Amino acid sequence: MAAIEIEGLRKEFGADTVAVDDVDLTVEEGEVFGFLGPNGAGKSTTINLLLDFIRPTDGRIEVFGTDVQANPLAVRERVGVLPEGYGFDPLLGREYLEWAIETKDADDDPDELLDLVGLADDADRYATEYSKGMQQRLAFAMALVDDPDLLVLDEPSTGLDPNGMTTMREVVRERAANGTTVFFSSHILSEVQSVCDRVGVMNDGRLVAVDTIESLQANLGGHASITLECSVLPDDHALGTVDGVVDVAVEDDTVEVTCTSPGVKEEVVTHLASRTSIDDIRSEGASLQSLFGELTDGGRDEDATTNESAAGSTEAEVSR
Amino acid sequence: MTLASIASKDLAATSRSRGLWALATVLALLFAAIAYGFSGYALTAAETVRELFKTLGMVLAFLLPIVALVATYMAIAGERESGGVKFLLGFPNTRRDVFLGKLASRFLVVAVGLAFVFLAATTVAATKHGVVLAGLVSGLFGLSVMYAGAFVSIAISLSATFATRSRAVTAAIGSYFLLVLLYVVPGVRITAIVRWLHTQLLGFDPNVDLYNAITFTSPYVAYRKATNLLLPPERQTTVLRRYGDAAGDLPAYLKDEVGLVVLAAWIVVPLALGYWRFVRADLQ
Repeated sequence: MAAIEIEGLRKEFGADTVAVDDVDLTVEEGEVFGFLGPNGAGKSTTINLLLDFIRPTDGRIEVFGTDVQANPLAVRERVGVLPEGYGFDPLLGREYLEWAIETKDADDDPDELLDLVGLADDADRYATEYSKGMQQRLAFAMALVDDPDLLVLDEPSTGLDPNGMTTMREVVRERAANGTTVFFSSHILSEVQSVCDRVGVMNDGRLVAVDTIESLQANLGGHASITLECSVLPDDHALGTVDGVVDVAVEDDTVEVTCTSPGVKEEVVTHLASRTSIDDIRSEGASLQSLFGELTDGGRDEDATTNESAAGSTEAEVSR
Repeated sequence: MTLASIASKDLAATSRSRGLWALATVLALLFAAIAYGFSGYALTAAETVRELFKTLGMVLAFLLPIVALVATYMAIAGERESGGVKFLLGFPNTRRDVFLGKLASRFLVVAVGLAFVFLAATTVAATKHGVVLAGLVSGLFGLSVMYAGAFVSIAISLSATFATRSRAVTAAIGSYFLLVLLYVVPGVRITAIVRWLHTQLLGFDPNVDLYNAITFTSPYVAYRKATNLLLPPERQTTVLRRYGDAAGDLPAYLKDEVGLVVLAAWIVVPLALGYWRFVRADLQ
């Protein structure tokens, strides 16, 4: 049985806004599925439809074979949700978890879950006084209550520091290893890349691709990049004239060349070797960034700058 | 029983609202002060206490709706605006649980506040006059709980209908204007407005019973009239009267007892409409 089955899903807001446009998607049980797309692509709308917070204009969603609109209660019993855009009331962190445990009729230990997300010392503070990151961790702990069969995480890394993100990824991997299906949305590629079996990419309300990251890369090609370190880089290297070269970025005597396909790299090396001596060659596959940009027409021109500014960080946000 | 889980969570959060505690305290002090300062001319102790509670009933008639609206108007709209509703519905709760749980919680808050206020007035009156009119006090309390229930019901339904604080506030103020002020302020009284529309604009002959019937649809008027049921005939307030050619006794549908029916309708009808809207709404 599929964990999530979406058929012909469409959601209109008002007369002329189509937030989700004819989406079909099946997520198998036990899968970790990344739901990618820039902000405003329709990811949260799809998740809100999945949880029956909002009602579809057309189409159908089943979770573990249960129609979510016909029986939202049965679905909510098996699902743990980390929603997007939630708010807290003046209750203690521990009270929130106790409420979650009681509502799910579960037997979890609130302190154990608080400890898992690193909130053990803040359990007796009001959730309204928490920082955004702490609220996010509390919401994550609540989603984990009763070891749900399906975890739905909407932009889970919002507000988290790198430590918090690492913890969250570890917990997601651990739960997935125990058979939990995980469906999480993100506009951050690295997050999805490291934990997901498959990804779906949303753009402008449509699901534009569903595949493993590897075969997406293979099918789409994307841009390959090669970095060459020279002893002295001549000014008249003329790398831009090589067929298939998209971009040339020079820093001291190191040059990074972006190519339309991996095959162009050989030509680039030959071209440069005839003009100067090369000390080192580093080659990378199609960057996820450019792949994502291609799928979501996210401005290829911005890729280079985005990549550079994100250097040293694991997180590369898609700029629109 | 997830309705209870919603209600208990809401009670825990609401009971931490300093504003509501302050409001309850101010009202209790006000009622204690009225009870202390109240005196009648040439009345026995029991008559004085009866007049006192009649006065308290008049004060409650326009204050209680404010209390009920303030305590309730954000119950669901607030959760929608903040996104807290995603927690409520992300767990095994239905929209019905949310709607009824919030209703139960806020109704309980207002009823407890009301009990607090009645206790203050009764204690002060008993201390000063040595009389407790158990029948009148419990009757007026019951009637006031019903009156408060009508406005909690109205407020929870408005709250379920509107997704933001600003719209919920506007709706709450609007409902107070339409259901209370329009029946109190002489210049813009609904009776006069309806009479003008009926005779001047539409050109009909005056029909006092019709104007009275329309006026009677207000929960404020219904509460004032139902209060008469607790008082001896010579102490009752004339809320609706016949005049001109139509002088004489009021028809049966304008009797004081009907006030209870009107109040009950103000509890049931808004709840039904608000619930109908809420289960169909997009909550995001």
